[in-house]
Amino acid sequence: MRIAVCAPQVPFTRGGAEILAERLVVELRARDHDTDLVTVPFKWYPGTRVLSQAFLWRLLDLEESDGRPIDLVIATKFPSYAVRHPRKIVWLLHQFRQAYDLDRTELGQFDESPVDRATRRAVHRLDRIALGEARAIFATSRNVAGRLERTLGIHAEVLPHPPQELDYRCDDYGDFVLSVNRLDRAKRIDLLLDALAADERLHVVIAGDGPDRERLEEHARVRGLDGRAVFAGRVDGDDLADLYARCLAVYYAPVDEDFGMVPYEAFLAEKPVVTTTDAGGPLDVVADRRTGLVCPPDADAIAAACGWLLEHRDDARVYGQAGKALAEQLSWERAIERLLAVGTG
Amino acid sequence: MKVAYFSPLPPETSGVADYSALLVPALRRHVELEVMPRGRRRPPRGTDLCLYHVGNDPEAHGWIVEALRRWPGVVVLHEFVLHHLVSGLTLGRRDVAAYLGAMEREAGVVGRLLGLGVVDGCVPPLWESRPEDFPLAGFVLDATQSRGVVVHSRYAEQRVVEAGYEGPVWRIPHPAWPPPAVQPAAIPGPLVGCLGNLNASKRIPQVLDAFVRIRERHPDARLLLVGAAAPLSDLDARVDALGLDAAVVREGYVDEMRFWSLMAACDVCVSLRAPTMGETSGSAVRALSLGKPLVVSDVGWFSELPDDAVVKIPADEREVARLAAALDLLLTREDVRTALGQQAREHARTEHDLERVAEHYAAALEEAAGGPAVREAVLADVALAAADSGVEPGSPEAAELGARLREARIGE
Repeated sequence: MRIAVCAPQVPFTRGGAEILAERLVVELRARDHDTDLVTVPFKWYPGTRVLSQAFLWRLLDLEESDGRPIDLVIATKFPSYAVRHPRKIVWLLHQFRQAYDLDRTELGQFDESPVDRATRRAVHRLDRIALGEARAIFATSRNVAGRLERTLGIHAEVLPHPPQELDYRCDDYGDFVLSVNRLDRAKRIDLLLDALAADERLHVVIAGDGPDRERLEEHARVRGLDGRAVFAGRVDGDDLADLYARCLAVYYAPVDEDFGMVPYEAFLAEKPVVTTTDAGGPLDVVADRRTGLVCPPDADAIAAACGWLLEHRDDARVYGQAGKALAEQLSWERAIERLLAVGTG
Repeated sequence: MKVAYFSPLPPETSGVADYSALLVPALRRHVELEVMPRGRRRPPRGTDLCLYHVGNDPEAHGWIVEALRRWPGVVVLHEFVLHHLVSGLTLGRRDVAAYLGAMEREAGVVGRLLGLGVVDGCVPPLWESRPEDFPLAGFVLDATQSRGVVVHSRYAEQRVVEAGYEGPVWRIPHPAWPPPAVQPAAIPGPLVGCLGNLNASKRIPQVLDAFVRIRERHPDARLLLVGAAAPLSDLDARVDALGLDAAVVREGYVDEMRFWSLMAACDVCVSLRAPTMGETSGSAVRALSLGKPLVVSDVGWFSELPDDAVVKIPADEREVARLAAALDLLLTREDVRTALGQQAREHARTEHDLERVAEHYAAALEEAAGGPAVREAVLADVALAAADSGVEPGSPEAAELGARLREARIGE
């Protein structure tokens, strides 16, 4: 079968969405499907640009390529699912959250002007049309599916995906907490830095890069965390696997995150995850005192959680191993079987 | 975004005033509202959009339509038939030309001639004799200058479209009141209630006729009639003539809490309407909220209520017989009353949920205020890229672009 996997590209940025799309292509090819990744750069600002950029997807003709039909399109996140195709399925990573749950928060994009308000509504309308055309919609987590149902009344089947391929292993329960994230405000790395300030025993390694890095480094400097907070920047797969293998635990507490592969990656390295009660998707798998610690979204609580794990490394191991059992249940075999069954049925 | 809100409000006693009293606090959570005092015809500085609630009563809505005609905005059309309103705003102010213009827009030269007949006294006033044949909604629709219209039913939506309206039309359900905790009024006997203004279209004569039959099988049954009776309706005389004096419990206009208390006492509610003026019924929505078994006319908005939540009676020659049969069934079978009431409550909780309605309003208002500018901006972006790529206006490529924009509804 010829399959086009559609995903937007934010030039010079790479995160879970990109990893998922690329991995999906690899896994489909491994099952003898002629598969390619279709991407279009996406810029969502200023003003109404989010719509004209989304509209680019609407102009694509993916019914055939080079004279041969494309049998199936699998679109991932906004705005790639605006693409037209008689056999379109959507494996939804997330909607354009600035137009939904992040609206009127500090992470929102639209102000109170009539044009911004109407732009937000136009995103809703486009979503209704584009998602309404799909043969089936899958969501990568209960959180994503729930948000879709609440905001647009559209049902999606929950279908999580396995994390990226790495040399997962557990070498030790070391003395540092690991954060793996794109560095933007929604990931709330500053909470972790504040937790560090609250407990002098804690050390963190922050892997990842992003627009918030400069501010976070300054924040760490101001809080006097030099030496205890290491900004490792973007790390390659081997280095990431090594960090997972050696850390005490993994911190992952974005605001109402859609899915997040990080907890699964941490679990495959047998590491517990520290998250917050408002983290959204991660709460599908991070259960308090079973696979990690779930605490309120404040620095003292996070410091207490990390400090407790430092003092209870055997418990950290138990939680990490319980998480591993969960993470191992996710398989590409099942995910692809389900996608194709619906997409071609 | 700032919205100037024009509507009757309590202490005025009308369905629209009650409606706005319910809606305004919920809508304020979504948009900045400035509620205009009665009679104020100019929106405040910095207003992005005006919202006008329009019904058929010239006394209650005249000032609102005057404001609308000076400051076009979005209209909430509480009724589609507006002949009484329009005649009040035109003939009532000696503006014969405007009335004839409205009649001509409605029905062409024939309409104008009929209007002349009314003015000359040769034809009975159409707002009393045949308003549904000449709704004159165009008088108000034109004044919106295509900013948009909000209606409460598919029926009204269809009528607006059929009237040739080219602006956006949003169908937003009537919001439901959260039922207050009230004690049911102490009225003995199986109780059938008919609550709301008892005007000519509420089919009170038919209800009374049906109730005569009901009394044969349910001698203890009582009929509760609540609300101001229309002038010349001869209500009391009819009740006397039918020998229903002892069976009819009559209350005039009552305050909100008494209304709920009386409705809560009913075993069955009746909310008939024919002909329909394209309105919804606040009384029927309250009955649904309370989970009361409800009998309605099979017309307009009432027809759109779920079949498992209400009993629908066509307004035809068998209306009285069918109504009597329905009331008999409901008074006899508790299980049917319970099932119907549960579905009614569920329908009110979901379809008429106040927060949901407010969110729909916010979407409509935001689209009305900023939508045209958004479409223009997207269109400009796309047109610029197309022109830079050598796509000529009128070419197949330009047509394709237009089709895709329309399809995605982002730059028609």
